Amino acid sequence: MNLIEFFKIALGSLSTNKLRTALSLLGIIIGVASVITLVSIGTGAQEQVTSQIGAMGSNLITVSPGFIRGGGGRVSQDIANVFTLEMAKAIQNLSPNIQHVVPTSTTSGLAVYGGNNVRVQISGVTPEYQEVINHYPVIGRYIRDQDVANNEKIAVLGWEVAEDLFGSENPVGKAMRVVIGGRSLSLTVVGVMEAKGQVMMANYDNRIYVPVTMLLNRGLNSRYVDGYSIMAASRDAAKSVVEEVEAFMTRMLGDSDRFRVMSQDTILEAVSQATGTMTLMLGAIASISLLVGGIGIMNIMLVTVSERTREIGIRKAVGAKRQHILAQFLLESVLLSVFGGLLGLAVGWGGGYWISKALGWPFSVSIPAVMVAIGFSAGVGLFFGIYPALQAASLDPVVALRYE
Amino acid sequence: MSDRVKVFAADGISKVYTIGDIEVHALRSISFAIENGEYVAIMGPSGSGKSTLMHIMGCLDRPTSGSMYLRGKDVSSLSDGDLAEIRNAEIGFVFQNFNLLPNISILENVELPMIYAGVPPKERRARAVRALEMVGLGDRLHHKPSEVSGGQRQRASIARAIVNRPAIVLADEPTGNLDSVTGTEIMELFDELNANGNTIILVTHERDVAEHASRIIHILDGRVDRVEVRTQENGSGVQAGEAVDV
Repeated sequence: MNLIEFFKIALGSLSTNKLRTALSLLGIIIGVASVITLVSIGTGAQEQVTSQIGAMGSNLITVSPGFIRGGGGRVSQDIANVFTLEMAKAIQNLSPNIQHVVPTSTTSGLAVYGGNNVRVQISGVTPEYQEVINHYPVIGRYIRDQDVANNEKIAVLGWEVAEDLFGSENPVGKAMRVVIGGRSLSLTVVGVMEAKGQVMMANYDNRIYVPVTMLLNRGLNSRYVDGYSIMAASRDAAKSVVEEVEAFMTRMLGDSDRFRVMSQDTILEAVSQATGTMTLMLGAIASISLLVGGIGIMNIMLVTVSERTREIGIRKAVGAKRQHILAQFLLESVLLSVFGGLLGLAVGWGGGYWISKALGWPFSVSIPAVMVAIGFSAGVGLFFGIYPALQAASLDPVVALRYE
Repeated sequence: MSDRVKVFAADGISKVYTIGDIEVHALRSISFAIENGEYVAIMGPSGSGKSTLMHIMGCLDRPTSGSMYLRGKDVSSLSDGDLAEIRNAEIGFVFQNFNLLPNISILENVELPMIYAGVPPKERRARAVRALEMVGLGDRLHHKPSEVSGGQRQRASIARAIVNRPAIVLADEPTGNLDSVTGTEIMELFDELNANGNTIILVTHERDVAEHASRIIHILDGRVDRVEVRTQENGSGVQAGEAVDV
């Protein structure tokens, strides 16, 4: 007796009760479809985030203050107060692989123009910052070197800020006020940045950029910046730059815990690890429905076995062996689940495609996820089919023939 | 007849069922032999053990003690798998309630034993068609069992029983679910099959069914009560049960 005979028998009995077959298929379809959909959404999200980070420039390195452990949740002033403007120049001279070093200082404040006001992030930067984060003005100009040298009271507005404060007016040349803490500064708008949208957790459109010196001297009354944004000559060079900067900062501060140097690659790694975990978790949750589908198959196969006790008896009477009956019922449940798996793949593929389209994410079906889902559904059929098939195979032919 | 090949022999077959603490002796040391091409009836009232005997003769069940030979081979202590092979090759069952699979055609039902025997599809089909033509169902090949009459169903199950050319055809109350006219037709079919050289064993409690056989083995309380030898001319002659040896 060959495999084709078994297939014929299995397909024959599956087609006998079409509604029941369809319903037990449904369980597997939903299970596989949800695995495929959720995992593809997860990978889509991952690609989206990765490409956003990539868009920020993959050779970006940031230096930020370290955490104080056991400090009751307070980030210490002392640690932050070591990043000076002079140190930025020293870092610049460390290596030819370092293109730009931008000292950055960020605070929040209220931007006011006429009767409008809006809460904004105020970033004190130098002219090179536009290159470092790959973000340029569309109207007017950016901060210039002499603005930094002269503590000029100028501002370049993020797209949203310009819209909220000035509406349809051209903001360039207008005077606005910025309230930081208790101080009020009058700034002249010299440019508006292109819309960049939400990148990672940060919104670049509700910021205003000002010369870092002006922010420190006139706004914060401080000598220290929050950190540095460093642009390496290339992505490959970024790694050696990270090491050089780390070594230098350790020498300067005497302790490697007081600062953190992160390249875009490190962030990328951390983020894809996080989204990968999320994808895995989504897949695991979806797998539960696949499991439920498998239990559905087992349930239906048990019903089938007891319903077809007489058939089993007849088959045994005319010479079917234990393994023939076992194979017949096992194949039935595997066919059921594999067929359900293929349909679920189609449904999940479609579902993932439409959801990704709706969210504007890249659509990506991971081949491993497809193979796992199909393999898993076949496994489910096999696993949940074994018990009913064993029951069928071990029926005593005399008892089975008497069964009404 | 005694020098002919013994196709079946029972040697002291006993069957004991244990239900709870009670032992039920369904068969008590039964011995008899059936020769190739013979036409035998096993008769007995219900509870006599004839169903148990039929199950053991059909290799659906094993005796508790004693030996049983099919074509000279001891089959009384074979494994389940070997018994399935014996059933497939050597036993043709005809049941009172036909026991055809309802969802496949009559032709496919007749092919079933050959599927398990591993006969290639072409040969299988040809043999099944020939068997069905022989029982007069050549024009009903593709009907489902539910689409034909009871008599035709029984003919189909007879075709299934003989298609693998078994050593014995074991018919359990073959006319039990049929009206008397159809029953007579079916019995004529058995007569014809026997005339063609098939060994037929009828298990029945009906006298007029048993009378088609040339020998009637009467079972009572799990024992061979008596053996009745019938000849074509005079109808019957009676022998004592103990007179039979293996």
